[in-house]
Amino acid sequence: MEQLELFLQTLIAGFMLGGLYALIGLGMALVMGVMRVINLAHGDFMMIAMYIAYWLFTLLDIDPYLSVFIAAPALFLFGLAIQKYLLTPVMKVESILPHNLVILTVGLAMVFSNLATVFFTGDYRSTPVSYASNAWYLTDFWSESPIELSLSMPWTLSFVLAVVITIGLWIFLTKTDMGKSIRATSQDVDAALLMGVNVNRVRMMTFGIGMILVAAAGCLFIPIYYLYPALGRQFTNVGFVITVIGGMGSTNGAVIGGLILGIFESMTATYIGMGWAPAGRFAIFVAALVFLPGGIASIIRKRRLGK
Amino acid sequence: MKRLSFFVTIFFVVSLFSVTAYAQEVLKLGIPLPLTGTNAKFGEIEKKSYEIAMQEINAKGGVKGKKIVLEFEDSQGKPEIARSIVERLIDVKKQPVVFGEYSSSCSKAISAVAEERKVPYLVVTGATDDITQQKYKYVFRLNPTNAYYATGLMSFLNTVVKPKTIAILYESSDFGTSGAEDMVHQAKKAGFKVLVKEQYEKGAVDFRPILSKVKAAKPDVIYMVSYVMDAALLMRQIRELRIDSKLYAGGAAGFAIPEFIQNAKEASELVMTATLWSPQIAYPGAKEFAEKYKKLYKDYPSYHGAEAYSALYVIKDALTRAKSWKPDDIRAALKSTNMMTAFGPVRFQDKEGYTNQNFMDTLVMQVIKGKHETIWPQKYASAQYVYPIPKWRERK
Repeated sequence: MEQLELFLQTLIAGFMLGGLYALIGLGMALVMGVMRVINLAHGDFMMIAMYIAYWLFTLLDIDPYLSVFIAAPALFLFGLAIQKYLLTPVMKVESILPHNLVILTVGLAMVFSNLATVFFTGDYRSTPVSYASNAWYLTDFWSESPIELSLSMPWTLSFVLAVVITIGLWIFLTKTDMGKSIRATSQDVDAALLMGVNVNRVRMMTFGIGMILVAAAGCLFIPIYYLYPALGRQFTNVGFVITVIGGMGSTNGAVIGGLILGIFESMTATYIGMGWAPAGRFAIFVAALVFLPGGIASIIRKRRLGK
Repeated sequence: MKRLSFFVTIFFVVSLFSVTAYAQEVLKLGIPLPLTGTNAKFGEIEKKSYEIAMQEINAKGGVKGKKIVLEFEDSQGKPEIARSIVERLIDVKKQPVVFGEYSSSCSKAISAVAEERKVPYLVVTGATDDITQQKYKYVFRLNPTNAYYATGLMSFLNTVVKPKTIAILYESSDFGTSGAEDMVHQAKKAGFKVLVKEQYEKGAVDFRPILSKVKAAKPDVIYMVSYVMDAALLMRQIRELRIDSKLYAGGAAGFAIPEFIQNAKEASELVMTATLWSPQIAYPGAKEFAEKYKKLYKDYPSYHGAEAYSALYVIKDALTRAKSWKPDDIRAALKSTNMMTAFGPVRFQDKEGYTNQNFMDTLVMQVIKGKHETIWPQKYASAQYVYPIPKWRERK
């Protein structure tokens, strides 16, 4: 019984972590798909959103979950500006290195995290909301239950919101004109251009939407985690691994990849040892590159073509 | 070639500066500290404390008539940078004694340089045991080692709690690993059974997997060696999973500073921690220092602050007694140190495999009504301990 409880609790934890990871991965995969560039400043954009949420909470007493509605538009605009004034000009430059965009994002990441250290110091911060360690317990609802499972309130909230946002994105991508243009550009830039898609505008929008997703992720993470200027790297890592597992640029793949990573990390933590979780992350990363270079997206595609 | 001449010029400019410094009758001391990076918080506490000590010493006439000027150098908490800072201090600035740095890894790196260059180095906060177990002649340590952090806590456990089993969680760093190893050692000596011993990567988001494992094992005591945010997350998730143990105890560091309570909120209540020092302790000068710090920076200092504050006094004492300000004379003076500081009595001894190590009593604090109170040993206690602690379910 205890083993079952342990397993289920781990599974729940992994699923929730995976849902949040997926949101981080989604933003990265979307940008990757359209722009063909890995945004290595992704985690640092998330850090910025978290600082917005933190200050709104500390100064104005706004709940971090509500600050999604402020942080997301703010980062959307910020993303548009970055795209217009930094990424697009660099994209036009012919250079020996085909990946100068990637280098630019690395530079951005450094600038952001160092600016944050200058302005906000290296202090650790968190938003101690009143419900931070509230939880629901299985035994509260069913007192004869042989096992005890718990569901953290902020974690559940964050997870549910992440799912809602993911579904929202899916509707946007499949039902709206803009969404369809984004998918078209991601599949084939030249074909999209021939079909009359304004590729530059699509690129800008995509980067902006990527920022909305990462801002949301930041706001969902801060009630359950904490914040410091150098936090970005860790989440860029996560996003990167998910993008690779999911298949470069595939949004469906990113969602599944996120869940796989979350569950995998939790399972490693329980059954092998938590110190091994980062090693496990790398193992799965390398395994994906070697055995499934196209990522989960390639499996999805194969099944579809098979029909 | 251009580069070489550039460095040579820099070198001359720097040495010129140090020459003028001596001429002005001030004593410049460089201190490596992590002022940015993940340990910046502690670096900052220490920097402020050194500054308070410096002002006090200078107000009383300095060291042998020379005013102390401290220069802080940012090591970013990286051993290789700490090492190069100290190499520069010794080789270029000819500083005859080195002290400072926060983490064990950095202190270890500096120790090796100091021993090689035959310049005395005073370790202020690095707690890994082996720093003073290398038979280094020139390395002294003010703070008790990891193995002794928990002696106060162990005596509390043996007298009051009398547990049979223990679970140990620790971060996978020098500090965490050595703290955990020592606890395993002590637990064996006291006859507790170690049910779970798990490490985690610092900065982890979700501790529930290992905590579920701890819950299934049902230990009497959960002992954790963590820095502050991990400590807060651990306790929050322990509360959420309702893991009912007889006692939750931390091994100093993250559990012993006010941020732990601010971030863990009600989950921090009744958590105990080993600590080396507390603002209410009855050492001469301790309260005055704590109040002065609070007045300036709106918060009480952690024990790291007291260590840094006292370190400067120890250095001053040694410099005053030394025959000359040559490294070997300062070393001899440090060796014969026997003084009382705000951090407690300081005497560098060679025993139990340690060289030049300061041994002292350690304390236990408990969070009572949202405040750290010293509870053990009882002669230093500021409040009566709360034990047994209620189950999570019965708490409000």
